[in-house]
Amino acid sequence: MQIDSIKFRNLVEQHQSMVFSIALRVTGEFGVAEEVAQDAFLELHRSSERLESEDHVRFWLRRVTVHRATDALRSRARRPEAAAEEWMDEQHSEVAGAGLDFGIVARLDELLRTLPEAMRIAVVLRYQEEMLPDEIASMLGQPVATVKSNLQRGLQLLRRKAVTTMKEYVRAEI
Amino acid sequence: MRKFDEVKDEFEQELGRRMRRVDPPEGFMERLLERAEAEIPARSTRSTVLTMPRRTVFRAWVGGAIAATLVAGLFVGQHIRARQQERKAEVARQQFETAMQVTDHALDHTRASLQRAGLTLSESFGIEIKTLEPQEKGEAQ
Repeated sequence: MQIDSIKFRNLVEQHQSMVFSIALRVTGEFGVAEEVAQDAFLELHRSSERLESEDHVRFWLRRVTVHRATDALRSRARRPEAAAEEWMDEQHSEVAGAGLDFGIVARLDELLRTLPEAMRIAVVLRYQEEMLPDEIASMLGQPVATVKSNLQRGLQLLRRKAVTTMKEYVRAEI
Repeated sequence: MRKFDEVKDEFEQELGRRMRRVDPPEGFMERLLERAEAEIPARSTRSTVLTMPRRTVFRAWVGGAIAATLVAGLFVGQHIRARQQERKAEVARQQFETAMQVTDHALDHTRASLQRAGLTLSESFGIEIKTLEPQEKGEAQ
């Protein structure tokens, strides 16, 4: 699929929130997420000839974004918990316009960032992108059982942490 | 193991609602298009000769330099060790020769003193030193 600049612009507009959100939730940093998202789109621009359809573009963008985000995480060697405060502040300002209870959203994202990398990626793809486990497995090149295990363990951890954190949050709000 | 492709429970539904996509920051598109435009002329004028990225070249150069230094260090180390062993062997040889000279000299001196006293080494130390007669020497040969 050959893309000109107008087509490229349309593709970016169509997929930018997906790409940026995956990058943001995997890396946990706005600046890094933007860099990752831009790199993914630039790579799309370079590789457009190999892409066959809109579905293929979406699949490809998700996979490249996850890989770039993982690389960025590893190269920075930052633990997920490291920038939790920064994440919360940034997240507050970004979702403010969305009319959500951003206190809860920020805490949920903060909890998400405490998950190990593999579990976090599986949870983001499952609950943000609403992908099925076999789709995630195919995209990441992992066995379906591994993806399901990561999802199950990730959810267990999130539940456990959410119970404690949300109680604290409600107490603080009262 | 629970099947995740089945119905989501309440927590999962809430998770899905909370994990909405987020729009990128303002100016994202402009910054991206600037980068893309900067890349297009660079690609069109790029030489067809395959070249390694600068960073890779630098890494390869540093790796080569480290490897060369290690090899050189190994050679120098081996050379120094060989020289030290040669020097030790030379010192040991000289010490052995000196010791032999001292022993010969002492033996000569002792023998001369004993002869002056009318004794031989065998009588003095109870050692039977057999001296071969010329006839016996012939038979032995």
